[in-house]
Amino acid sequence: MSEAAPSKDFLAEEVRRYHHFITLALWLAAITGAEIVLIFLPIPPMAVLTVLSLMSAGKFFAVILWFMHLIYDKKLLFWLFLTGLLLAFATFASLIALFGVERIDTKWFA
Amino acid sequence: MSQAADAHVAPTSTGIDHKKLIMWLFLASDCMFFGTLISTHLLYRKLYPTGFTDAQGHQHFIQNLFNLELTSFSTFILLMSSFLMALAVSAMHKAEIKSFRRNVLGVIFFGLIFLGCQVYEFTHFYHQGLTIQNSVLGSTFYVLTGTHGTHVAIGVLWLVLLYFYSFTGKLGGHMGALDVEVAGLYWHFVDIVWIIIFTLVYLVEYLGPSGIWGSGLPALTQ
Repeated sequence: MSEAAPSKDFLAEEVRRYHHFITLALWLAAITGAEIVLIFLPIPPMAVLTVLSLMSAGKFFAVILWFMHLIYDKKLLFWLFLTGLLLAFATFASLIALFGVERIDTKWFA
Repeated sequence: MSQAADAHVAPTSTGIDHKKLIMWLFLASDCMFFGTLISTHLLYRKLYPTGFTDAQGHQHFIQNLFNLELTSFSTFILLMSSFLMALAVSAMHKAEIKSFRRNVLGVIFFGLIFLGCQVYEFTHFYHQGLTIQNSVLGSTFYVLTGTHGTHVAIGVLWLVLLYFYSFTGKLGGHMGALDVEVAGLYWHFVDIVWIIIFTLVYLVEYLGPSGIWGSGLPALTQ
C-alpha cells in the first residue's frame, strides 16, 4: 500500500456502517418477500399497487442513501441525483397524462 | 460527510472527487434513460392490454408467461449482490484487500447468476412465441430488460477487471478505494433500477384476476 493506513476514527465509522449494511440487506430481503406475498392477498388491485409502489420507493431510497453512501456524502450529490430522478419521474407522469388510454381511439391500434 | 471521511477527500472546488461526481452525473442521466424505457413499456402495456399473439395466431396472456419464482429469485440475488458490493467498498476503505477480493468475487458470481436467469427467461419467452418483432409488448419488454441486462453485464466486466487489477498492487490507498466506490455506485444503480422494473413490469401483472391492465382474457392459470 503506497499511502498511510486509515485512521482509527475512520475505521470505527466503517465498522458502524458495516452493521448498517447488514441490517439494511435483511430489510431489503424481507420487503421483497412481503411484496410477493402482497400480490396474492385479496385486496383491491389499486391498493396493492399503491403499497407496492411505496415499498419499492422505500427500497430504492434505502439503497441510494446507505449502500451508495448518499447519507454520508456531500449533499450536492444527493441533489444532483434527485434532479435526474425528478426529470425521469416528470417524463413518466407527462407520458401517462398525454397518452391516457381513455383519450385514445383504439381502433387505430387494431 | 463525516470528519473521518473528509480527511480522505482530494482538494477539489466542490470537495467531491471528480470521478465520483461524474459517476453521479452519469447515474442521474441514466435515471432519465430508464425512466423513458419504463414509461414506454407501461404505456404500450396499457394500450395493448391483450398481451401478444404468436406465429400460429394464438393469443397469450403475459401473466401465464412470467415465472414469478424465477424473477423473485433473481431480484433477491441482485439485492444480495448489492449488499456484497457495499461490503467490498467498505473493505477497500479499511485497506483490507483480501476481504475486498472475497466480496467482489461474490458480486461477480451473483451478477452472473442474474444474467443466467435473464438468458433463461428470454429463451423461454422466445419459445413461447414472444419475440422482439411480433408485438409491441415484446419490443418494449425486451428493450427494457435487455438494456438493464446489458448494464449488469458491463458491471460484471468492470468488477472482473477490478478484481484482477487488485493483484497488480496498484489498487490501494485513497485512489484505489475511490475506483472501487465508483464501480460500486454503478452496481448499486443497476440494483435500484431492477427494484423498479420488478415492481412495475413483473409484479403489477399479478394484480387482480386478469392483471391490472384488464385484458379480459382468462384468469391466471398458474
